[in-house]
Amino acid sequence: MSSTLNKVDYVKKDLPPLLKKLAYGLTAVGLVLVILAYLTDHTRSAYNNVILLMFLISIGLGSLFLVAIEYLGGAVWSTPFRRIAEFLAAILLIVPIVAIPIYFNMHELYHWLHHEAVESDPVLKGKAAYLNIKFFTIRVVAFFAVWILFYYLITNNSKKQDTTGDPELTKRNIRLSAIFIPIFAITLTFTAIDWMMSLEAHWFSTMFGVYYFAGIFLGGITSVTFLLVYLNEKGNLVKGLVPDHYYSFGVFMFGFVNFWAYIAFSQYMLIWYANLPEETIWFIHRWEGSWVAVSLAIIFIHFVIPFFVMVSQGSKMNAPKLKFMAIWILIAHYIDLYWIVMPTFSPKGAVFGWIEFGFLVLGLGLVLLVFVLKAKNNNLVPIGDPKLQRGIDFRL
Amino acid sequence: MSNNEFTQELSVIEGKPSLRSLDEIISKPLDTKPDKKYYIALGVTLTMLTIGAVALAYSFYYGIGLWGNNNPVGWAWPIVNFVFWIGIGHAGTLISAILFLFRQKWRTGIARFAEGMTIFAVITAMIFPIIHTGRPWVAAVYLLPYPSQHSLWVNFYSPLLWDVFAVSTYFTVSFTFWYVGLIPDFASLRDRTKSKVKKIIYSITSLGWRHSNRHWRHYEMVYLILAGLATPLVLSVHTVVSFDFAVAQLPGWHSTIFPPYFVAGAVFSGFAMVQNVLIFIRKIFNYEHIITLDTLEKMNKIILLTGSMVGYAYTMEFFIAWYSGVPTEVFTFVNRAFGDYSWAYWIMFSCNVFIPQLFWFKKIRRTIPIMFVIAVFVNVGMWFERFVITVTSLSRDFLPSSWAYFKPTIVDGALLLGSFGLFFTLVLLFTKSLPVISIAEVKGVVDGSQPSHGEH
Amino acid sequence: MSEKILYSYSALFDTPDKIIHAAKTVAEKGFKKFDVNTPYPVHGMDKAMKLTKSKIGWVTLVFGLTGTLTAVTMMGWMMAVDYPIVIGGKPYFGLPGFGPIMFELSVLFGAVITVVALLMFFLKLPNNSHPVHDTEYMKNVSSDKYGILIEATDPKFNKNEVEALFQELGAEKILPIYFDEEEISFKPKIFDKKFIGFLVIVAAITSLSVYGTMNKVLYMIPFSWMSEQGKSIPQETSKVFKNGSDMLPPVKGTVARGYLPYRFKGQPDKAAELLVNPLLPTEENLALGKTKFNIYCSPCHGYLADGKSRLNGNFPAPPTLHSNKVRNWTDGRIYHVIMEGQNVMPSYAHQLSEKERWAVINYIRVLQRSFNAKESDLL
Repeated sequence: MSSTLNKVDYVKKDLPPLLKKLAYGLTAVGLVLVILAYLTDHTRSAYNNVILLMFLISIGLGSLFLVAIEYLGGAVWSTPFRRIAEFLAAILLIVPIVAIPIYFNMHELYHWLHHEAVESDPVLKGKAAYLNIKFFTIRVVAFFAVWILFYYLITNNSKKQDTTGDPELTKRNIRLSAIFIPIFAITLTFTAIDWMMSLEAHWFSTMFGVYYFAGIFLGGITSVTFLLVYLNEKGNLVKGLVPDHYYSFGVFMFGFVNFWAYIAFSQYMLIWYANLPEETIWFIHRWEGSWVAVSLAIIFIHFVIPFFVMVSQGSKMNAPKLKFMAIWILIAHYIDLYWIVMPTFSPKGAVFGWIEFGFLVLGLGLVLLVFVLKAKNNNLVPIGDPKLQRGIDFRL
Repeated sequence: MSNNEFTQELSVIEGKPSLRSLDEIISKPLDTKPDKKYYIALGVTLTMLTIGAVALAYSFYYGIGLWGNNNPVGWAWPIVNFVFWIGIGHAGTLISAILFLFRQKWRTGIARFAEGMTIFAVITAMIFPIIHTGRPWVAAVYLLPYPSQHSLWVNFYSPLLWDVFAVSTYFTVSFTFWYVGLIPDFASLRDRTKSKVKKIIYSITSLGWRHSNRHWRHYEMVYLILAGLATPLVLSVHTVVSFDFAVAQLPGWHSTIFPPYFVAGAVFSGFAMVQNVLIFIRKIFNYEHIITLDTLEKMNKIILLTGSMVGYAYTMEFFIAWYSGVPTEVFTFVNRAFGDYSWAYWIMFSCNVFIPQLFWFKKIRRTIPIMFVIAVFVNVGMWFERFVITVTSLSRDFLPSSWAYFKPTIVDGALLLGSFGLFFTLVLLFTKSLPVISIAEVKGVVDGSQPSHGEH
Repeated sequence: MSEKILYSYSALFDTPDKIIHAAKTVAEKGFKKFDVNTPYPVHGMDKAMKLTKSKIGWVTLVFGLTGTLTAVTMMGWMMAVDYPIVIGGKPYFGLPGFGPIMFELSVLFGAVITVVALLMFFLKLPNNSHPVHDTEYMKNVSSDKYGILIEATDPKFNKNEVEALFQELGAEKILPIYFDEEEISFKPKIFDKKFIGFLVIVAAITSLSVYGTMNKVLYMIPFSWMSEQGKSIPQETSKVFKNGSDMLPPVKGTVARGYLPYRFKGQPDKAAELLVNPLLPTEENLALGKTKFNIYCSPCHGYLADGKSRLNGNFPAPPTLHSNKVRNWTDGRIYHVIMEGQNVMPSYAHQLSEKERWAVINYIRVLQRSFNAKESDLL
């Protein structure tokens, strides 16, 4: 098979210095704040750590998912940018490290680890076969392992293609992507159940996995969109990319903001309507004290504002709007995760201080840092991909 | 060959037919008289429809005691049929609207037909909620909020009323979308027909469209807007249908995942039905180069994807039922699998989860007889899924003294048969009166039809 | 008419590239009143013709939001103001419950009004009397050719220049398009035969259907709102029975419930033999028996059934029920006495129900036993 190395206008340039500065700077500041936080209030830090973990998983897994669906759908408009998603997926490599501090604080986080409570509570006892530290650990380790495995398999093929241009690698990645999708669905669901839903061990919702999926997709698409627009403007990507290329990313951001709203509304409305105490308690906890304000604010920050800003066709191709809304929605996603996790720590009202801020800063820093490190020795564009030229030629 | 597989875009229409030949092949069924095979097919569907009509007349005259509904299974076949047909309608809108938004050109050959199927499926579906009230001439009038002599308004909190709004909106918007798509085709037909009567009809229905680009630009924007509106609409319709069940407190019904689960299931069964019908259409009308094997393969991939989503929902329901620790939930799911209706449950599970997994294999995705059979099983499975959800939860509700086994009657069966008769009669009439492929859209995606710069 | 009025000059091309080039050229030359006709939308044509983006999206946004507002106002007013009813414990104004319909109406309003606006205002259709209809030009652009036309009223229009331009652009065919005779000379008259005929038909159909509905259909079953029902109306003649009533007196020999005649009238021995006490002497039954005995029997027979009556000589004192005779009577024989009375005692059939009679008899047995207790009873 002769290689189809593309004759594209790509020159590997150094990343913009601002990006690198932010990556190292935010990580450093974040680390300091987080270490201080753990020394000051380790329980509150553990809760924030869970939010951080879920946030990073959503970006890493979301990016890997985007890579997989590009292969499966045969899309060409995303090919020039796929490498960005591949780099972001590398976050999955540091996710185990982020999980470690939580492990030392599990007892403060999860009620189902309190043996006396479990023994005296028939409901908790009934699910102890699933919610116990042994099985929990096995699941966590297995999921991390399988994610990292697929990360390596898929991205290695893509990287190899840079030099060989072998279309067989694309075929292999299509097959890997197809197998990855169901694994992705199952692992993300149980991840969400294990780390987030079990914080309120009595509560349950069949929709919870789908809800986290909406967040995962948004985590991935916003990070990728921001970086691709920014880097294209700075000339780090292949030449010939125009606003037409941004359009579908805008469509996906808009579409999945709506999808998130749909899932959130459905979950809420069904529980509101049937009014079963074992289900409503979770939402009642998020309507105590200042949590009311947070709950209402999320509707506007996560749905209403992005909807009206992104609804027009033009907005979806507008570079400044896309960059701004990508960060906006990413922060909204972080707030959403905060709203899911934090009420268990502070039921009387929302708490937001330097600790929460520190973890958020660390989160953003780590995302950029992973990206910057991967971009150092790799091409920012999959120059050997057979679909690349079609991707560059793509117009609406 | 495989070198070109990724570097070049696949032709949507095989063989690069000329635009005029597309005109001819698509209008051919409209210009020719129906042949014997058509009449035989129509005879079969009309017979089925008549059987259903007779059953309906009996039901009106003697009352719906003729059906198998009992206490506590007050919802049975009519509701199952309603959800089934609405679900089938969803594939059409997905193909026309959602695939349009994703710029999947392979939808072009099948979009018109699929939208038509949507409209016919919705018409068929709407019959059931209207007749299941027993006296629709009294009940139907009270569905809409208008000031009546009772001074009473409709119950806006009832998902059954949300259904009224959702399904009527769905029908209206789908019909509008379909009609808007037909306008340029009516114009083309008007300009090539030799019959005076047809010319008048097409002149009226085309509204005097003259293919002006000043018009095309507004038209295309509206098409995009309608696609953009129809997408959340179709998701909302089956979501609202799922709310019929999910807002209740009944175990097996009250599950937060119902909305996306039902939508995925609807797309699943809809695509299976569309695939089945298209296999016939492309053969009978010689559209194999427009409705290509690639198109069918892509549809089978979507069937696999949505079937897996349905399987995911089954898994989640089962797991969370156990996890919740609510004994009634656990009982409901164990009862579904091993109780009185376990036969229905395992038909559902095999047809929906196991059988579509065969579509992982490329060879099977591209073999027509096998894919046809798989799709039939999918529809059987999806009908049974609605049956299992509705009837098992009702026949084992909260009060054990109320428990009862539901058995359908022959009238129930005749109504279901009649619904298939109505649907396929409308489809057959459609093939002879309207272009089943969108002439204007197909012309736009033939190789060489667009100016040569950039790819789309 | 002698002279045909020219609408435009048109040219047909056979490839999309050519028509794009033609459109660009014509636009750049400064023509404003020109149009391109293609069987399907050609990509890039809007830009070539220097057309701006369609603004119809604003209609959708505005009317979609109108739909949302209409929905929430309508539901809010109907459910919380006009006729509030507590449904399932939910608040009168429950936004989550209003959500689905708010969404549906937004989509409905947005979609339908957009299409109506498209046809009425943006496209100004239906319009079947445009000059390009029924021309060779139209037949071609409807099928497989790409056409461009420049209107004669354009300030830059010059017949020869335009023709030359088209030749230069490589047109396959150049055709003039004229206004149709009837289209120009058509003056809508209010007394036009066709129009009057149309009005008459509409009037006829409307009045017939309204009359038919209001005066005929609404009185037919099942549309008559159950104003005619096959039920009996009091004090009106009925078709049910020949005598005009809807109820006949009961058949001779009918017995009311609980009023079966006593089988053993005048037959104490038969009663003694055949009647059996169905009640067990449970505490409940005995309590009932005691109550009834005290009410009905004790005035004459005394509280202890020993004949110590409270009649104080107004009536001959009744016998004690603890005599051997009564003790050896079967329950049925005592029942007979209650039913028919004996000597001075009247029948107590109307004062005691069947169950109560048997209960009293059980109580009498208890009293009898108490007066003839054995030593073993004390233990």
